[in-house]
Amino acid sequence: MKRSFAIVLTVVMLFALFVSPGLARDTDELIVLQESEVVGLDLMRSSLQNTMSVCYNLHDTLFFPQEDASVKPALAEKWEKIDDLTWKITLRKGVKFHNGEPVNAEAVKFSFDRIFNPEIKCPHKGKLSAFKEVVVLDDLSFKIMTNDPFAPGLYILGIYFPIVPPKYIQEVGDKKFNTSPIGCGPYRLKKWMRGESVILERFEGYYGPKPYYKTVVFKTVPEPAARIAALITGEADVISGVPVHKRTEIEASGKAYLSSQMGVMPYLGLNTYKAPFDDVRVRQAVNYAINRELINKALFGDKAIICKGPISPRTFGSDPGLKPYPFDPAKAKALLAEAGYENGIEVRFAYPTYMSQIQEQAEAIAAGLADAGIKTKLEPFERAVMWQRYKAKKHQMYIYWWDDAPEPDRYMYSLFHSQSRDYYYKNPTVDVLLDLGRTILDRNERAKVYNKIDQVLYEDCPWAYLYVIPEVFGVSNKVFYEGNRDGFLNMRWAKPKN
Amino acid sequence: MDISCGAHHNIRYSVTMLQFILKRIWHTGFVVIGISVISFFFIHLSGDPVMLMLPGDATDQEIEELRVQLGFNDPLHVQYLRFAAKAIKGDFGDSLYYNIPVFELITERLPASLELAFAAMLFALVFAVPIGILSAVKRGSFLDMSSMLGALVGLSMPHFWLGIMMMLLFSVHLGWLPTSGRGTMAHLIMPAISLGLSLMAMFARLTRSVMLEVLSLDYIRTARAKGLKEQVVIAKHALKNALIPLVTVAGMQFGFLIGGTVIIETVFAWPGLGRLVVQAIFSRDYPLVQGIVFIFSIIFVGMNLLVDILYVYLDPQITYSEEK
Repeated sequence: MKRSFAIVLTVVMLFALFVSPGLARDTDELIVLQESEVVGLDLMRSSLQNTMSVCYNLHDTLFFPQEDASVKPALAEKWEKIDDLTWKITLRKGVKFHNGEPVNAEAVKFSFDRIFNPEIKCPHKGKLSAFKEVVVLDDLSFKIMTNDPFAPGLYILGIYFPIVPPKYIQEVGDKKFNTSPIGCGPYRLKKWMRGESVILERFEGYYGPKPYYKTVVFKTVPEPAARIAALITGEADVISGVPVHKRTEIEASGKAYLSSQMGVMPYLGLNTYKAPFDDVRVRQAVNYAINRELINKALFGDKAIICKGPISPRTFGSDPGLKPYPFDPAKAKALLAEAGYENGIEVRFAYPTYMSQIQEQAEAIAAGLADAGIKTKLEPFERAVMWQRYKAKKHQMYIYWWDDAPEPDRYMYSLFHSQSRDYYYKNPTVDVLLDLGRTILDRNERAKVYNKIDQVLYEDCPWAYLYVIPEVFGVSNKVFYEGNRDGFLNMRWAKPKN
Repeated sequence: MDISCGAHHNIRYSVTMLQFILKRIWHTGFVVIGISVISFFFIHLSGDPVMLMLPGDATDQEIEELRVQLGFNDPLHVQYLRFAAKAIKGDFGDSLYYNIPVFELITERLPASLELAFAAMLFALVFAVPIGILSAVKRGSFLDMSSMLGALVGLSMPHFWLGIMMMLLFSVHLGWLPTSGRGTMAHLIMPAISLGLSLMAMFARLTRSVMLEVLSLDYIRTARAKGLKEQVVIAKHALKNALIPLVTVAGMQFGFLIGGTVIIETVFAWPGLGRLVVQAIFSRDYPLVQGIVFIFSIIFVGMNLLVDILYVYLDPQITYSEEK
């Protein structure tokens, strides 16, 4: 009798333990799921998207980068151009780090010098190397100098230059700072359980608008199906990394919606140094042989943005006068014949396997090319191998991608300037224009330069231009959150829907 | 068995046993070193982490600087010796991404993986043994047929698919269990079942076939002839002998279970070593991959060693002396 009672009790207790996931959640808490693990909380030490996302909730920069590649004040209150090489920047008064240390010009200088400390291995060093030095003027103002006139300067500072507390770092060291950071952002670190979650709590002394949610929890769930399941059951409020083919699942659930953010811009690179793509007519033929509209409809539910040239249609500097290459297999064949390939060509077509829906895209592109007499041999490669072969100039035709970033200099310079990577293409005119685009400080004049670059590359076709696939976040119906174009999950902007 | 010279036998037996264990530990050392060499060279030949550590717009100069700083430009054997010299002292270096000692990362994660593996093993054994016994006793019955068919299905089902299907059913549709993560007992159920199911199927089949064999032996007939109750015959006499191969296989399978955590931890966001190693491999975090492979190999080889030793205790007919 006693024994059977014990058994019943155990069963009841176990059951009570199990049936508890639907516990009412705290409305002051926001749970965010990302696909990969946070590796550190020092923004200066990582270039991984998911890690940086968490960091932007803890650390603030001088400016808020905007969608049109301009900036708005953050820690910096006002700024002026002294000459082509110098900005004078004044900080907001009374801003404090989470530990009470003041955010002043000294802290800015300390942060700047820290970027170039080899121990930190700062992955953003390259982008910030256009800046020469920071000179402290008084408590709140400083000068920041560039080596050459640098048009995207403020925007770059707005993304890659967090201000960190000098006293705290000198006290605890760089390693400890990476695991228990002190920032000046809207949230402070409460607890980091590595591999499980990063728990942030609202910093009540924040200088800017007070974030709505008191607690934000970032968790890692690598499997997309599991992230979506958690969003639908209400275990999570915001999820990143929603694969294109899973999007309708979220919309159909009635529990959550999709919020657009930055897009991914895949492109089809061509090796212009070797036959057959050393002939511009063959490269143009490839552009005429891709059925972008059909791919958009079939794979992306018409949500993709068709590209005209190398600059994303949403990005500053894209030439509004250009029209996307139409799908015209007859014209492609004619161009191939003109170039001496009456019987068509056969090429290797590499793509990285870790991109979402890449297999389908590669097959759809290959089908269009086949219509125009361009036979392809598909070569799927794993991430590191793909990159290694890319750098070793082993690809003939390859899919890669870039973020659909608001500022053109960063990616256009990196992809098309021969100083940066001349693996598959080089064009002296483009080099000159890219240098110009980087140094012209007048916004209108600068736009014209990028329009010109867009035109030149449109004609010369070092790539076949494809489309921008907008990435989305899945957001619970209880929460209002519009993703930023930079793609980072900055939870200061989230609030309840009603 | 020779009862008359039992005492004498026991002394000799323990000496040879000790020799055997020492010999096995000696071998184990070689295996672990071998694994570390192979994994070191494979991971180093599989791609350059520096290019992945830096953003896409990094210049060649930046890449080169970092490579020199991390010592990746040295010849592979030099890098290996440097690694080995530190590893002997238990220092696997710092993770390239976390900037934290690999050892610390591993010790943080190991408990979660072991918890999952033990839970899966427990689940498998608790269900498999009764099912196997019942099927053997009621051989040919509907119960036997259906449980063996079930076992076949369980064996052939891929872990990750089963995991996602369970998640859809129990979390999304029924709302009984949390979708993923670690925390309460409820979080453990689905990962443990999806990891342990194929093992359970295998154990059930094994228990059944061993039980069938044992039940047909003479001593069981003797036991029955003595007038013992059937339950006693099965539980006391038959099961005891049937357990020997089960323990062996369970021990051997524990290593594979640790391997299985790689997939299940990724599906259920279980914060263990399996998921960590996946992320480490994709980002070519050399020191971290090395460290985890080392730990996995120790667990694997260690379990095999343990099974060999256990075997001797469970089955006195086995001795490890070369002379009889």
